[in-house]
Amino acid sequence: MATFIPAAHEPLEDAEPSHLDVADPLGIRVGKATRWEFLRNLKVDTQVGTIWLGTWGAASTAFFLAGLLVFFLAGMDQTGGSLFLLIKYFGNINLAPPDGLGLARSLRGGGYWQIVLGFWALSTIFWAGRCIERLIRHKWRPFLVFAWLSAIFLTACIWVFHPLLVGTWSDAPALGLNSDLQWAQNFSVLWGNLYYNPWHQLAIFFLFGSAMLWGMHGATILATSSEASHHEDAEIKNMTSGSQKAILFWRWTMGFNAFPKSIHDWLWWFAVGVVLASGIGILSTGVVTNNWYAWAVDHGTVAQYGPMTRSAINQRPRPMPPELLAPSGYMPAAGK
Amino acid sequence: MAALDFERYYRKPGNTLFQAIVGGAQDPFDFWAGPFYVGFFGFVAVVAIVLGVLVLFTAVGQYGDWDLLRANIPPPDRIYGLGLAPFLKGGAWQIVVSCATVSFFAWALREVDICRKLEMGFHVPAMYMLAVSAWLILQILRPLAMGCWCEGFDLSFSSHLTWVSNTGFKYMNFYDNPFHAYAVLGFFLTAMVLAMHGSAILGTHSTDPDPNVEMRREDSFWRDYVGYSTGEYGIHRLGFYLVVYTLIMSDLCIFTSGTLVKDWVQFWHPF
Repeated sequence: MATFIPAAHEPLEDAEPSHLDVADPLGIRVGKATRWEFLRNLKVDTQVGTIWLGTWGAASTAFFLAGLLVFFLAGMDQTGGSLFLLIKYFGNINLAPPDGLGLARSLRGGGYWQIVLGFWALSTIFWAGRCIERLIRHKWRPFLVFAWLSAIFLTACIWVFHPLLVGTWSDAPALGLNSDLQWAQNFSVLWGNLYYNPWHQLAIFFLFGSAMLWGMHGATILATSSEASHHEDAEIKNMTSGSQKAILFWRWTMGFNAFPKSIHDWLWWFAVGVVLASGIGILSTGVVTNNWYAWAVDHGTVAQYGPMTRSAINQRPRPMPPELLAPSGYMPAAGK
Repeated sequence: MAALDFERYYRKPGNTLFQAIVGGAQDPFDFWAGPFYVGFFGFVAVVAIVLGVLVLFTAVGQYGDWDLLRANIPPPDRIYGLGLAPFLKGGAWQIVVSCATVSFFAWALREVDICRKLEMGFHVPAMYMLAVSAWLILQILRPLAMGCWCEGFDLSFSSHLTWVSNTGFKYMNFYDNPFHAYAVLGFFLTAMVLAMHGSAILGTHSTDPDPNVEMRREDSFWRDYVGYSTGEYGIHRLGFYLVVYTLIMSDLCIFTSGTLVKDWVQFWHPF
């Protein structure tokens, strides 16, 4: 074997922000960007803007703002028109979905929820159009829009497909800071503890794995960036000593390593795996089983705790009779 | 595994922590086994792992359920407090947790050795120790603060899920734990930024003869799309510090539960 000499690299001073950040190789950027010099202290690029609007972007922004406006109007409705109470109780603003699958019969009885979610659904779909349009203009392969569509798939499972499958919008999360936390808790309990849903387990594996991979990849690149490993497009074409050290670190540590291109395959699939597995977990809930603990006992993935009987654990909780329901969890109006 | 063609250049003896600590004496394990670097701390890690796995299999055999998902090493009962427990009533858990903790520290020091050999930064062992901090808090520091080893979680696939579920309900509603919310936010942001970075590299690499043009197209896309590009160095800083934030919030989330706060619902209604 011939004596190996690592490819020459230009040692960078210390993580200098890209000196090419005004460049526009395709000649398609418009407007005049600004510079925030304080960002140099964080060792990130200083150029801010300009942002592209476009027809898709205009539609997406308009529907997002319209949804936000309806959300705030509904919040004002819940606080009896008091802006002070709206700010004070902002976390408790709760736009609940209606029962059943039809249109809500009143704004307070689910109409606000349907209007806001309709607007925001359109906004995210138009954003996908904007993503495709910009990807084509900048000559990227379409990985980003597939990641975005995967995220839309999860939100559609939560807010549309699961309610359609179980026959009521009220299984979807209400809108509001506290109410989506309440939904996460209640949904799990209602369907027999989501920890025993294997797709939920897989989603958490991907979620924690994503954090682990970002920790590994980010740390590896930062540790070798003085030898140019962060110029990833260049390293994919022609490795220099920075990438060789990054590769050998993991090879020597765990006997296996990725390469400058293949590590990004791992990253992308772990991140997209989170939303795909979550979406399947939501879809299967109520379809595969109505009690994930019972399912896990049946399939031998968990020991059976206590003398629960099949018939007892297989019952869905009966819906509360309407006369016992508090009036939709609204806060008392101002002055009452 | 065959060595990579450039690997021989980097495989040099010496410059280990063992030498630096012991004062020039040769590290007796300063060699590679296949692709793995061994080193003194690799030896310590392997001893701790083998010992822990042997104890684990002995205990699982005694408990009797060999199912891969249900096999379980439970923590000690409450009556043993912070003392030693009999083998099948938590002693096995104490031994396995001790072995795992030793091997985690040894593994981190072995990573330091590899960084020294490759003359690179120590970011990976630092991040690794931050991840190990979650283990230390869950299995050692929080049980110490609560005065009972029984606060640790079961070493098992399915019953550690049960532990997580029960611990959430023990403090009423873990979703009302603000650090839990900040940590979940961090995990979701981490996954989102990871997808964005992966898409950027997979979407642009090898599309132009000049890698600088590819890199500029990444920057100009993000400026068009969201108004800002951190740059190819900055994105790795962003990812690194997002994970740091997430891990610190996770640590606070579990350490405060039961020690400082007994009820996360009442936490928001102090008066």
